[in-house]
Amino acid sequence: MSPKVTITHLSDLTPPSQERTWLTAPHPTLPIVATCSSDKTIRVYSLTNFTLLSTITGGHKRSVRTAAWKPNMAGESVLATGSFDATVGIWRRWDSYGQEDGVGLGMNSDDKQIPTDTLTEAPNGTDTDTAGREEDEEEWRFAVLLDGHDSEVKSVSWSASGMLLATCSRDKSIWIWEDLDDGDNNFETVAVMQEHGGDVKCVSWHPSEECLASGSYDDTIRLWREDLDDWGQVACIKGHEGTVWFLDWEGEEAEEKWNGPNSESVSESELSALQTQWRSQRALSGPRLLSCSDDRTVRVWRRLPKESQQTGALSSAATGIPSIIRPTGTDEVWEEDAVLPHAHELPVYAVAWSKRTGLVASTSADGRIAIYEERFVTLEQEQQADSDAMNTTSGDVLQTEWVLVGVQDGAHGIYEINHVAWAKRADRGSGGEEEVLVSTADDGSVKVWTVTR
Amino acid sequence: MAEMQNSNPTILNAADLPTRLQPTTRKSEYVGIFTSALPLAPVDFESALSSDSEDDNLLEEPIDEQEIYDLISSISDPEHPISLGELAVVSLPDIAIKPTLPDVPDSPLQTVTVLITPTITHCSLATVIGLGVRVRLEQSLPSRFRMDVRIKEGTHSTGDEVNKQLADKERVAAALENGALMGVIAKMMETCH
Repeated sequence: MSPKVTITHLSDLTPPSQERTWLTAPHPTLPIVATCSSDKTIRVYSLTNFTLLSTITGGHKRSVRTAAWKPNMAGESVLATGSFDATVGIWRRWDSYGQEDGVGLGMNSDDKQIPTDTLTEAPNGTDTDTAGREEDEEEWRFAVLLDGHDSEVKSVSWSASGMLLATCSRDKSIWIWEDLDDGDNNFETVAVMQEHGGDVKCVSWHPSEECLASGSYDDTIRLWREDLDDWGQVACIKGHEGTVWFLDWEGEEAEEKWNGPNSESVSESELSALQTQWRSQRALSGPRLLSCSDDRTVRVWRRLPKESQQTGALSSAATGIPSIIRPTGTDEVWEEDAVLPHAHELPVYAVAWSKRTGLVASTSADGRIAIYEERFVTLEQEQQADSDAMNTTSGDVLQTEWVLVGVQDGAHGIYEINHVAWAKRADRGSGGEEEVLVSTADDGSVKVWTVTR
Repeated sequence: MAEMQNSNPTILNAADLPTRLQPTTRKSEYVGIFTSALPLAPVDFESALSSDSEDDNLLEEPIDEQEIYDLISSISDPEHPISLGELAVVSLPDIAIKPTLPDVPDSPLQTVTVLITPTITHCSLATVIGLGVRVRLEQSLPSRFRMDVRIKEGTHSTGDEVNKQLADKERVAAALENGALMGVIAKMMETCH
């Protein structure tokens, strides 16, 4: 009855790490990814030919747990890495990647031939000035080590503008750093937030606003904003019954071709009405937040539109009792939008919300990759569902449902999978706007999958 | 250690601990469960001889509760030079092996559940003991096993807290990189074979 997606293995990224890999971060514009490994290194792979381009070594003394690419960079790539050694590393490299294999990257090419092997070993022999400089230009340059956390760094995230970097740790704190971009690699500590009652497992910035979401060992999700120069908590979401392992935001409509939930069972006229309604609802609430947890569930959270919060405040005012303890202007109310269909038998370690298709992917210690799709619930279905209910006020709240549309069991054999991410497809077989799913596992393997309807 | 938390623990006689050789009811149960895995008919020598010996090496021996017990009962208590088996911190009836994905019949994943009974209810070393058990199993068992090491319900004042730590993959991974902690655990495992 429900159309399914097909999950097909496209390639492995080779050669793999021989130790556990935690996370693979796709570059925002280039067809490369960075994989974090327990062997204290970061491997940079090409999504064009699925081979290793560089291994970044020497920066971290323990497992590299997390990495994130700074957005809005031109001509240079900047990678932030977080490690169990309690530090955050910043690495820089001039963009010349992928040119060597002759496949267009949509980048400026200066016709320079760059050898495929760009490992960080010192160049052998050719030590003329020119060769030395070219060699340097191919290398990842260690820029700075951000020191501040007391214990393992679990997650790092750049704000949409690339100005702010958020880091979090087992020390229960979140640090926000401002990249001063002064050419001297200086970062300034903007805020340290310590409200979480346990390890902060993940941080994730809103796709456009300076709003940070964090998930924790204390089972809560918290949202943070700056108000009059002070960073503070604006919401604490309690719902999960276990550690919140990972968060991801819904894409923003402006930057996507996606027209909202899938709607094959809906007629044309009905569809356009639903889409209009869906867009206006989205405009009021903003992008939703996706979370996964040790409690085996994947959930979607929605911010209540400000106006309905004000309505609440007004109605309390109508009782005649003036409320002195009014929520400040920055407080937000978030409510559970959906619990996705059950798909995992063990802790769910990562979720990824496609900005291109709206599909959600999740993965777990159970070795599974699951794909979910959001669909409009048509009027008839809705009426059928609550035929006994009084006063079905259809139109007020737009109904959607999440459907489990694909499951890949044993995606990395017997191994636990730690991370999934969507990335733009870049190999020769691709036809433009396609997307691939990149999964990262305990045995060090990273696999690339296509997901087709 | 400055002061022992439990200076006079109850110790079981080593001869009373469960072993593979003992003709107990446990053993007959073991045979019953794995009957299907044993060759029923006399061994067909001809095919046995012709079969590639490498195939046999690839075949993993079935792992049962007794084997798990043997792996962890020889771990020493961090306070006493006595094994977890002798202290009854681990016991055979508190070990279970179940399929991880019951709805996927051909999945090789299995979950090993070990319930730990601390010698005293407020023992702050419960986390270290649990970590030792988990590390021992992770290092000894094939990767298709998932570990579920928990404090037995009602036997510890902060059991939930300890369980949450022991179940946290990231914390366990970080602990494995902690030299001081791993020193303690290595010492506990000196008595393992």
